[in-house]
This record gives sequence, C-alpha cells and structure tokens, in this order.
Amino acid sequence: MIRAATTPHPRLGVVKLASCDGCQLTLLNLEDELLAIAERLDIVEFPEATSHRSNGPYDVVLVEGSVSTPEQLEQIHEVRREAKLLVTIGACATAGGIQALRNFADHDAFRAAVYAHPEYIESLATAQPVADYVKVDAELRGCPINAAQLVELVTALLTGRRPNLPDEAVCAACKRAGRVCVMVAQGIPCLGPVTMTGCGALCPGYSRGCYGCFGPREQANVSSLSRQFISLGRSPQEAGRLFAGFTGYAEPYRDAIVELGGLPGASLAGERAHRAMGAGVNAEGKS
Amino acid sequence: MTNVTKSAIGFLPRAGFQHLIELLAEDGRTVIGPTVADGAIVYGEIHHVADLPQGIGAEQAPGHYRLVHHADERFFAYAVGPTSWKRFVFPPTLALGESRRDDHGHVSFGPAPREIPRLAFLGVRACELAALGIEDRVFLGGPYTDEDYRARRANTLIVAVQCAEPAATCFCTSMGTGPGIRSGHDIALIELDEGFIVTAGTPAGSAIVTRLDLAEATAEQLTAGADQLAAARDRIGDPVVTAGLHDRLLAKLESPRWAQIAERCLACTNCTAACPTCFCTSVSQRSDLDGHTATTERRWDSCFTKGFAAVALGGNFRPRVQDRYRQWLTHKFATWIDQFGTSGCVGCGRCITWCPVGIDVREELNVIAPPPQVSAGPAEAAQPHAPRSSVFRVEGVRRETHDTVTLALSTPDGIDWSTARGEFVMVSLPAVGAVPISISRRLPRGLELTIRAVGPTTTVLTGLERGAEVGLSAPLGHGWPVAAAQEHDVVIVGGGMGLAPLRPIVDEILAARSRYGDVHIYYGARTPSDVLYTEELAAWAARDDLEVGVTVDRADATWLGRVGVVTHLFDRARWDGTKALAFVCGPERMIQATVNALAGRGLTPDRIFISMERHMECGVGLCGHCQVGPFFVCKDGPVFSLAQLGDVFGREGI
Amino acid sequence: MPETEGPAPRTEANAELVALLNATWFAADLPPQAQVRLASLARRYQASAGTTLLAEGQLANELGIVLSGRVSLRTLVPETGWITILTVEPGDVFGWSALVPPYRSTSTVVALQPVDVLALDGPGLRAALAADHDLAAALYPRVLQALARRLTATRLQMLDLFAR
Repeated sequence: MIRAATTPHPRLGVVKLASCDGCQLTLLNLEDELLAIAERLDIVEFPEATSHRSNGPYDVVLVEGSVSTPEQLEQIHEVRREAKLLVTIGACATAGGIQALRNFADHDAFRAAVYAHPEYIESLATAQPVADYVKVDAELRGCPINAAQLVELVTALLTGRRPNLPDEAVCAACKRAGRVCVMVAQGIPCLGPVTMTGCGALCPGYSRGCYGCFGPREQANVSSLSRQFISLGRSPQEAGRLFAGFTGYAEPYRDAIVELGGLPGASLAGERAHRAMGAGVNAEGKS
Repeated sequence: MTNVTKSAIGFLPRAGFQHLIELLAEDGRTVIGPTVADGAIVYGEIHHVADLPQGIGAEQAPGHYRLVHHADERFFAYAVGPTSWKRFVFPPTLALGESRRDDHGHVSFGPAPREIPRLAFLGVRACELAALGIEDRVFLGGPYTDEDYRARRANTLIVAVQCAEPAATCFCTSMGTGPGIRSGHDIALIELDEGFIVTAGTPAGSAIVTRLDLAEATAEQLTAGADQLAAARDRIGDPVVTAGLHDRLLAKLESPRWAQIAERCLACTNCTAACPTCFCTSVSQRSDLDGHTATTERRWDSCFTKGFAAVALGGNFRPRVQDRYRQWLTHKFATWIDQFGTSGCVGCGRCITWCPVGIDVREELNVIAPPPQVSAGPAEAAQPHAPRSSVFRVEGVRRETHDTVTLALSTPDGIDWSTARGEFVMVSLPAVGAVPISISRRLPRGLELTIRAVGPTTTVLTGLERGAEVGLSAPLGHGWPVAAAQEHDVVIVGGGMGLAPLRPIVDEILAARSRYGDVHIYYGARTPSDVLYTEELAAWAARDDLEVGVTVDRADATWLGRVGVVTHLFDRARWDGTKALAFVCGPERMIQATVNALAGRGLTPDRIFISMERHMECGVGLCGHCQVGPFFVCKDGPVFSLAQLGDVFGREGI
Repeated sequence: MPETEGPAPRTEANAELVALLNATWFAADLPPQAQVRLASLARRYQASAGTTLLAEGQLANELGIVLSGRVSLRTLVPETGWITILTVEPGDVFGWSALVPPYRSTSTVVALQPVDVLALDGPGLRAALAADHDLAAALYPRVLQALARRLTATRLQMLDLFAR
C-alpha cells in the first residue's frame, strides 16, 4: 500500500518479558535501517533503547521473552489488549527459550538448589512461549532473531504485503550457500533438517551442527533424525539432549527429548513434569 | 607447439597440467574445479594444480562421505562430491528484475543488472555432462526459455575428465550416462598415473589443446585408459533396471512404500539441492521500507518443502511428505521423460550420499517398481523468451462482491490484445508480488481481470483505483478450445470465482452465435451476494439463445432464486450431452462433481475441458511448482481435457 | 397442512392427474397401474408466493410433487434468520417425511413463486405401499433417487467449496 504523507505513523512498541535483551539489540544494531524505520514508525516503547515508558495502544508490538513469572503473565494479557498486531520475537517469546528447560524438571527443587532464599523468588513453575497465553499474529524466530528478517517484517508491515519468511529446513539455505553437510561428511549431529531457516545456516558454515535456535520447521521428522543420531554413535539420551537447546520446549523437540530419556535433573520431577508437558500448559498458566 | 600429428591422440604429462590451467585463465576464464573444503571435494576456483585434490578420494555410502588418501598422485581420483555444476549455470539465488512504484501509483519494470562470468569447468564427469544436457532441455527447450541460463552456459568451456574411481553410490551405467565420456565436452581428459590422454570435442576446446605441449599417446596408455574405464563400469554394475521403469513406477502410485519412506524422509531438500538436474525455484520480492523500489529474486526451491504445492486460500496439493517424495521420485524417473524426452536422473548418486538419513533411490526404485522398455520422445524445440511485464493502467474498477473486483486495464502502448491467445497473465506490483490471474474479458486495447482478495497481493490489487498502474505479462498458457465447439452444443459450468475465466468463452460465442448449437451456462456461488457479473448474467438469461442457470449454496429468505449445487441445474435437463462440449472451472471438488454429472449426461472425457489454474505459480513452466503428473499446468494448460489428464485427475497428493 | 386455494380436491378426472404425474421426473414412466393408484391418492392445489406449505416439526401428511413454480426448504437459525438450504424445482418432491417415521417435516416449505402442487395423501400412500408390493417396488427407487441426490448435494454444500 502506498501511504499518503499525511497518514499518522504506526505506533510501535517493544516489550520485554523473561529474556536477555539480545533480540532488542538486534533491532538497535540495524545501523543502516534504524533511522529510516524510526522516521516511518513512532517507537513509543523500547526498554533497551530508552527508559521512557509509554503504554499502548500500539499498532504493532514486538514481544521479547517468555512468560516466566506471575507478573509477566499479567503484563502479556495487558499488552495484547493494547496491541493491534502482536509479534513475538526470538526463541524465548516463540518457544520458551533456554529458561523453558526447567519445564522438564521440578521447579521447586531447582529453585531451592539455586537460590539461598527460594521463598523470595516468584516464578511460575514453567516458562512458556507467549502464544500459550495470548493470540500471536506473527513470529520471528531465532536466538537472537535475524536482522534481515526483522527488516523484512517491518517492510512488509509498512507496505502491506506478506512478510517473506520461508518455512523450510536450514538445509535449504545451507545448500544454497554451498555448504557441505556436516552430518554426512563429518558425522556431526545437526538439527538443520528439522529446524526452520532464518539464520543463513550459520553453524554448518563453521563445521558445527545446527542446534536448532530457530525452532522446529513444519512437519519436522524428529524421530527419523534421532534414529540417525543414534546410528552416528550417540546414546538415546545424548540424542535427546541435542534437541534441548534454546527451543527444546517447542513441539516436537520436546517430545523427542522426553521419549529419548529426558534431561539430567528431570528425574527429580519424573512423571509429574511429563504429565504437565503432555497437557501443554500447566494449571497456573491458564489463570 | 604440439608434437602430435593430426590423427594421433595427445598425451599431457602430469607436469604439464599447470599449463592447461594457465591456458584456460589466459582465455579470460575463471577455472572452477575440484578442491578440498570442509571435509569434501567441492567445486571452487582453481588457480594452481596445488588447489586440486591430489592423492585424495572419498568413500561414499548412503548418508556417508569421508575423504580418503590415495597412494598415487592423481588429481581426479574421486567420484562426484556435494557440489554440482548447476550452481554455476543456474545460481542458487538470482536477481531477476527491479521494479518501482511511486506515490502516484506509476509503476516501471526493468531487468536486474547482470554479470555473466566467463568460466571453465575442470573435471566434469560423464554423468555431469548428461546433467547439463538435461538442464539445457529444461531451460532452453521452450516455449519459454531462461536467458540467464543460456548466457551462463554459452560462456562456459568444459574440460571433462573420465571417471576412474566410481563410488558405491554411483549408477550412471544404469541411467546410460557414463562412466565413459561421449559428448557435451570441449576437451576430454583420461587421467593415468603419469598424465592425461587429451582429446578436443569442439573448436573452442581444440584452440586450447593445440597450445598444449602434448606427446603422442602410446598404445599402452590408450589401453590403460580403456581398461580403467571398463573396470569402473564393472565396479558400478547395473544397480537399477531401467527397462520399463516409466510405466512400472507410474503403476505404483498407490504403493504402501511411499508412506514407509516418509517415516524416514526428513523432507530437508538436500537431495534436490545436491541433484544436478533439479530445477525448481520460487520467486519473491524484496523492497525498500516504502515499497518504492523492489528486487524480484529467484531462489532454488524444492518439491519437498510444504509451501511448494501450496496455493491460495490455504490449499495444498501435496500436504504429506509421502506425496512429495512420490512427486520427486516419479518426476525424476518417469514423468520427466514425458516432459523432456529423457530421464531426469543421471545416476550420479548425490541424492544417496547426501541424504542425511541415507535413503537410497536405487533401493526404493527396486522395491516400489520391481523390474522390465524405456520410452523417450523427442524434445520439443522452441524459442521465445520469458515475458517481461508491460505497464497497464487501471481504467475502471467494478466491485463484484465484498472481496472481488473487476479491473479494466488498458495498455498505453496501444497493442491490440483482443486477439492475443493465452488464458492468463502474470500481474505484478512492485514490492508487493506477482500472481497469475485469468483473463475475464478481452478488450480492443486491453483486458479485464476479475480478482478476489485472498492473499496480500490480491488484497492490494483489489484495492487499486482508476489511474493506478500494474505490470502484466503477455497472455500465457493454453486456453479453452472454443473454436472446437463450433457446430456443437456448449455447456459452460462455473463455480465461485470460476466464472471469471469462462466469461471470454461466452463473449466469443456471442460474437458468432450462429456458429454454435445450444449454449447452456450454469453457475453456482456460495451465497447470493457472492454472485459475480449479476447484470451480465441477467442479460444473458434474457436472451432466447442462451440457457442460464444460477444457484447458490445457501441463502436467506429474500433470495427467490435457486438454492443447491450447480450440478442440480442440469442433471435432469432435457438436452443430449452426446453432442456437446463442456467447459468447467471452479474449486477442485466442484469440478469433480460436475464432471461426474456431465458424464451422466453422455459427455465423454475428450469433450470435457477443465481449468487447473489454481496450481500455477511462475506462469512459464520454469519454476516447477505447478507440476501435475507429467504436466506443467501453466505451460501445458491450465485448460486440459479430462482425456488428457487421465488418472491424474482428482488423485490425492499429485 | 398448507392453506390451499381454489376448489376442494379430487374434483379432477383421474386421467388428467395421471397425465400430470407422467409429466414429472418423479412419477414419469412408472407402470400405468402405479400411476393410477397414485392418482387416486392425489389432490392438486395452487398456492401463492410466500405461502408456507409445511412447517418444520409439523406432521407431514402429504408427499408433494411440484408441477410448476419453485418452493424453498428452510430452517430457522436463531439470530441469523431463515436459511434456505435447497429449492425444489418442478418435477421434484417435498414432504418425503410423509413416508418416514415419525412423519414430521425436517424443514419448512415455502413457495417462492406461485406454485402448482400435486399432493399424495401420506397415510393412504403408506397403506398402499405396504399392501401393494408392485407399487412399492416401482415407487421406492424414485424416492431413494430423490433423496440420494439431495444427500450428495448436501455433502458438497457442507464442504463450503467457495468459502474463505
């Protein structure tokens, strides 16, 4: 759509839940485009860039981080009410992030082991992706998100077209880039075949297996890939742990981890965690 | 310089090989050849013999590749690795064009800047020569050609080296492509321990070869070369029985094996990327923040991705991995022959080695289509180039329904479009996208397009106002055989948006009404407010030389017309279908129900024509998305007779 | 029961009713005895556009054959209003519930145009079909055909092919 010059600029907000701020930094690091974006959007909230706070309403809100505390749970519902379009950015917001690995174990036992005064720590038993609680209109995956994808999303929003964010395996980008398959040529386990592109196949470019930070692609065949990891010499539990990275809580990685024997520490929780994950969202989460 | 007499065969001592590389460079060429990187022998730039994998080979098995060291000093003692030459003549990503759209809605389209490198391919195997021959047919066989490919191919000199070290994954012998070099090369080499037997295949190759310091190849060297070829052939054996494979494979579309493969297949696209002949692509636009300037970019895609057979309105013709594996295998080994006159497989084995879970096509073929006659028709030759967008202006906008408009478009260059054949046009808007849209009326200086807002691009198109500009390709595809209906009765059945591409048929018939028999027009829509062309339908119905029936799926109490499915408009009619031709367009299930009802009225499959336009993507038969069995819907169709489609019609996952 | 217009039923000659039956898809080419038997159970009536011929849930006492005009089969959806599911065209039947227990209409039948209807008495027809197996063997396939056609059409309508 061609916008007339008089149209008021869309109001953009950036909101942070449980996260490391790395995705917000990706936005700040857009040196070439940031000024141009700022001219076309009113950035009304951006905690990493300014301490100024303005609550909605927003035309677009970018949400970083997973819902990990009761306070964040309240916040995300409020943000949703204030936003026309809610876009989750990064592995934490879209898949729960590294902190969602606690979902595989016993929350109270972990908390007691880590903090001297666990009673001061108010956290939910699980860290969940935003979409488990509120409707999400679009998502940018990755840990952190990819700058080019972010610019593409903003451009699509401004021009009124569909963002071009392909849902294909990392392998597709890896092979376009002319990389040699690390699994076939070096026997290195790689999550590329079941992981969504977006990173430009960064890790295989450095002779490392993909560790899945963009999360599962559509129809990810994790069982076939785990069988291959095992035939490359990994034990089932080792194969399962390969899925337990930044997006380990996302289906179907989550199932692969549990089916292949779970994570160390998960034995603390045993059946309970398994059941909670089977239900997808725990009881507190539904409040 | 050469010591070889004209009739003799030359021999290049190993020490002289550097000279060959230099001669190629002196010819202004970047030399691309085998070199070791990231644990594999890949194709990269070669400046010196030291860049070559001397004494290095590779052990290959399904899903497995490891470099190994040889005792000898050979440069080319390996079987093909992960790279194929297609990357250099058919780049993984390519800017196709640049377009602009200003704040006043003016649009312009231009080519992307292009630099075609001058290359020499060093170390091309027989199977790879065959693969380039297959790509030539795909990209240059027509009717639309890939000019970028043509330019790159023409700028490449090929130095082939005969294979002496086949891998356990090779099966060129079965596919009839190797290991011996036969044609397609400029220079052919046979590597022996002490050097190379050299022959030129073309004048360009000869120009290089005559500058080499060659000895005369001895009888012993020639024998050694022949022996190593025979040994290579014996090592490969004949793992795939190709006799009758086309028919055997297509007879097994319902094999339970497809689902079993899908349990292993990752649909990761590695096989199609490694394949030297897979050519499917997708096109997208990248634009600046305001959508004023955009680059249209093509990138390798694969029939294994979920989005590849997805169409508007959320449909997907191959939703399951088993559908996609079947599409790939049957295309490669069967329907490719129908399309291009050769198999799509050269037996290089890359898809076997580079499948991360080691799926072996040789094994799958033998299980799915166990052995015995190869059919191969001649390739069609044709010339014209892929169409470029011309700028058309919106002269009128008529709102048909809440989400559908008819745009009247005129060409400023004054070309008479009323006689242009072709069924549809590619409509493009800079920074937004390009979509195939059927022509809903031909005008003396333009045409009408009826567009429904189903996705972002069509949403923008339906919001255009008078004076706005869009880019249109020339009319594409094979349309309705209306002329064949002269002297016959005509039955036109449309469903939903399907009436739009049928409207030009009515126009054409009404322009020469007396040449046709009885004409019946039947139309089904969702609700009364979804009916297209309401005034025209009423005008047609008012004529006494047309029968018009309109029905809707559901209606409120104010609708006094018919409610029910479109087939009810004619399944009890009194006309005799044995003399009629039928033209049908609509959603797939509506077409199926209509075809069944028409068959019940006596119409035979050769007289029922349907449009499969929903499958289309690039419009010119080069991207691969719209394949249905042996057909490319956009270039072979979108209109097909049922007889043409045979049992491809209505089959799940095709 | 529909409000009927015009004179009382059964005043027309049986032969004329047989001729009318023979001109409909539903009863054409039935054996002559069957047509005569049906004619003996028939009454003809006309109704103006907008007339409700049968209401949903009501006892369907007659199997109607449309001779001319169009009738709609409707159902009332709270908050949406009346939705027409199907229209019945000349030659076809409505009120088939008169043949199937519990003999209550599954939709409301409203004339969209002035209609001319031949109505077969439900209880009489049921008794005749039970007693006369030749009549039943001739008539039931037609009833099945009419219903099967509607069933397949309903399936297609359920798919809502033109939606989204």
